[in-house]
Amino acid sequence: MLGVTTLTLGSSTTLVAQNHAQQHATTLASANGNRRDSVSNRTHPLPMSLVSSTDQSFSFLSSFKEPTHARPFTTAVASVDSDKLNSSDPPTKNEASKYYFLVANAKFMLDEEEHFQEQLFERLRLFGERNQEQDFWLVIEPKFLDKFPNITKRLKRPAVALVSTNGPWITFMKLRLDRVLSDSFEAESLEEALAFNPTDLKFEKPEKWVAPYPKYEFGWWKPFLPPVQTEVQP
Amino acid sequence: MLLLSPPQPQLQPFFTSLHMAALVKPISNVTPKFVSSPRMGSSHSSKFSTIIRMSATATPPPSTSTKPASSKKGNIKETLLTPRFYTTDFDEMETLFNTEINKNLNQDEFEALLQEFKTDYNQTHFVRNKEFKEAADKLEGPLRQIFVEFLERSCTAEFSGFLLYKELGRRLKKTNPVVAEIFSLMSRDEARHAGFLNKGLSDFNLALDLGFLTKARKYTFFKPKFIFYATYLSEKIGYWRYITIYRHLKANPEFQCYPIFKYFENWCQDENRHGDFFSALMKAQPQFLNDWKAKLWSRFFCLSVYVTMYLNDCQRTAFYEGIGLNTKEFDMHVIIETNRTTARIFPAVLDVENPEFKRKLDRMVEINEKLVAVGESDDIAVVKNLKRIPLVAALVSELLATYLMPPIESGSVDLAEFEPQLVY
Repeated sequence: MLGVTTLTLGSSTTLVAQNHAQQHATTLASANGNRRDSVSNRTHPLPMSLVSSTDQSFSFLSSFKEPTHARPFTTAVASVDSDKLNSSDPPTKNEASKYYFLVANAKFMLDEEEHFQEQLFERLRLFGERNQEQDFWLVIEPKFLDKFPNITKRLKRPAVALVSTNGPWITFMKLRLDRVLSDSFEAESLEEALAFNPTDLKFEKPEKWVAPYPKYEFGWWKPFLPPVQTEVQP
Repeated sequence: MLLLSPPQPQLQPFFTSLHMAALVKPISNVTPKFVSSPRMGSSHSSKFSTIIRMSATATPPPSTSTKPASSKKGNIKETLLTPRFYTTDFDEMETLFNTEINKNLNQDEFEALLQEFKTDYNQTHFVRNKEFKEAADKLEGPLRQIFVEFLERSCTAEFSGFLLYKELGRRLKKTNPVVAEIFSLMSRDEARHAGFLNKGLSDFNLALDLGFLTKARKYTFFKPKFIFYATYLSEKIGYWRYITIYRHLKANPEFQCYPIFKYFENWCQDENRHGDFFSALMKAQPQFLNDWKAKLWSRFFCLSVYVTMYLNDCQRTAFYEGIGLNTKEFDMHVIIETNRTTARIFPAVLDVENPEFKRKLDRMVEINEKLVAVGESDDIAVVKNLKRIPLVAALVSELLATYLMPPIESGSVDLAEFEPQLVY
């Protein structure tokens, strides 16, 4: 029996799951189909008057050249009593530590899911108040995805991953975001775990924006990008 | 928690039809009673604070306010304090989440949620300052009354959430300690919100007698399945209402006429987390999400919550205009965003982005306005009821037509059979 189910994801990518014979042949179609047959997660477009004058493109590589975003290279250690730790115990020097992640396309994660921004800033604020070291990062086009061919073949690019040493928190974020893939991996260092491929991000300016407030600024995610290793002077 | 319910008696026929006789079991009827008492700790003995109570009498007694005439404080409309207070089948709830009976419960999600609630992001954030009293004193005339009404309704809704969650936390302690603790932590959040709002009322020399409210409240019985649907929607729509107001006022600070709105950013994140928990509860009981009945109930609860909010808010346009919002545009934005969020768990949702949906809502507003006018007329009761019949019929007809609009198939990708083929 031919059963067609359509689901529009954040990237406006529509998947059509065909009959059993075509079960492994993934068919992609643009999301121009009947609106009633799909669940759209797209944010309302934004009128020109509300767009900031800054260029709506962002070089992932260039952001690390700016001293304002450079931070010392540290592992995530919570400076509270061990029974109050919200993140996993920090790894010892030579021990590989586990990193948990969820991933989806950049458009969905950074442009459409506005409450995702609120959550990350809320958590960052909390860590600041409690003097805890940040244990979560956003990685645009992460290199670790190469280890997950089953995930990469299901991702629209560029992709963005939320990475953390706190497994339960990633489980919670998966529950919240729903339209994301999640897994975990081990890495010898934070630098290795958060390695990325330089990418320019560009999101289309929405044609129409009906919310009674402006959209979050392009580039809001900068505070969550991986820390930069400071060069050691001889 | 945002429990949307009709404060006006004129809306009662609409809600009778909407909640379906089989679904709702009222336990006791309550009407509000107002008792004036000296304000404790006040340096001026002439100042009085109105304590609002709920009485189980059939008709509200006259106000016994002895407040000096010089005071600017007015009496509160008696129909305001009748939000739905929910109760449920606690035995069934215990069975649903008994870890020994249900071996396949996804405890990972519950453990993750428990950690998130234990984190208590807003432990130190609901702290008042002198701005509150100053802002309250500046509010005059109708706008002042509107804000009092807003605080009362919000406080009562938060308090009703506290009561439900507290009882669930107590009852599930043995069968599922993790789920029980989450309910207890959510009741902590709701109590914090209700207390904060009640403190706000004190700036207007008013206070809700929450203790009395607990004993004399009106309960509506919902089966656990319906509690999940209704409360999930209440929490998520609460998030979208609060974040929309917060972001609007941040962009337009000239409308920031009362400081409570500055707290909405943190507040709404609590609401969102509560909604996430109900999402996990439903995912743990896929029988509530994966059949044709679930689709019908999902659409019914979406319709119920959206229509209630729209009709309620259209009777309170002065409040939204007071903070610089267009009521209908605000409501449609909230409905659309809530619907998109809800589509990540409910198996079917309404097609709220179809222009016909808004047209139907607007027609319901017109009919409801006529119902209100009939209720306020000087006609005798029999004549009023006769005039109401065609209006109620028209309202039910619009509701049915809206319900029967082609829905949108939806649901969590975790429960989708075709998930392995999705592209993210």
